[in-house]
Amino acid sequence: MAPTGDDLQQIAEQVWASYLDTDGERPLVPLPPDKLSRDVVAGVAVSGAWHGLVLLACSSAASKEAAAALLGMDSDEVSEGDIDDALGELANVIGGNVKSLLPEPCVLGLPEVHTEADHDPWLEGDEICRFEATWMGEPMEVSVLEKPTGQGGESAS
Amino acid sequence: MKILIADDSRVMRQIVTRTLRQAGFDGHDLVEACDGAELVQAANSEKPDLVLSDWNMPNMTGVEALRALRAGGNQVPFGFVTSEGTPEMRETAQQAGALFLITKPFTAETFKEELAAVLG
Repeated sequence: MAPTGDDLQQIAEQVWASYLDTDGERPLVPLPPDKLSRDVVAGVAVSGAWHGLVLLACSSAASKEAAAALLGMDSDEVSEGDIDDALGELANVIGGNVKSLLPEPCVLGLPEVHTEADHDPWLEGDEICRFEATWMGEPMEVSVLEKPTGQGGESAS
Repeated sequence: MKILIADDSRVMRQIVTRTLRQAGFDGHDLVEACDGAELVQAANSEKPDLVLSDWNMPNMTGVEALRALRAGGNQVPFGFVTSEGTPEMRETAQQAGALFLITKPFTAETFKEELAAVLG
């Protein structure tokens, strides 16, 4: 039992339709961008019968647009705290849906947000699936990373 | 009526607030809590008519908070709004005393269907 890129696409599209593109005017386009970005990476750890991370990575510009869309603000008004909160919550929603596709029993951790994460050791692991997309002209990527038992991040209390 | 919204994400508290309005449930007093411990405190002090709570929160999870409220005799109508909707979670939620579990991402329609029984 393992999620696939198609699963990630379906979940991401539901999240976008519900929260970021409610009027259909700013869709998540399922086309790989020219260049991926790890300016901002938000993730939730899954632990238990399976260990790893569910990740949402995007450019700085996309993170601002996402925070602005979720908070109903202009993108130049959002703070770093708003971005962390917004991206963390998107990772939480996506992660919760991905978790149901993973071996049980597992628990979902609280979201973490890392910036400029190209060489971040947090992202070491075996990628089992990914979904690459473009949103507002910016790269957006959802992936699932499996880690050796006992690693992955904070667990919920 | 008074509704207590508990989620560690300010973004999600705002989304829940917005969705309540879109579902036609505007005009109610809204109170917020950012973790399970605050939820218990606010549920006892503010005496809301409904609690909408996330599951996964720091300090105390939503289900721990619900169990604490019920153990203390607080029977406030309680529902979860959470990213996980497995049958096991729903069973746990129901056994703890929750009336419903709404999964994220949610729509105004879902809120209308699930909350009409409590909010009218």
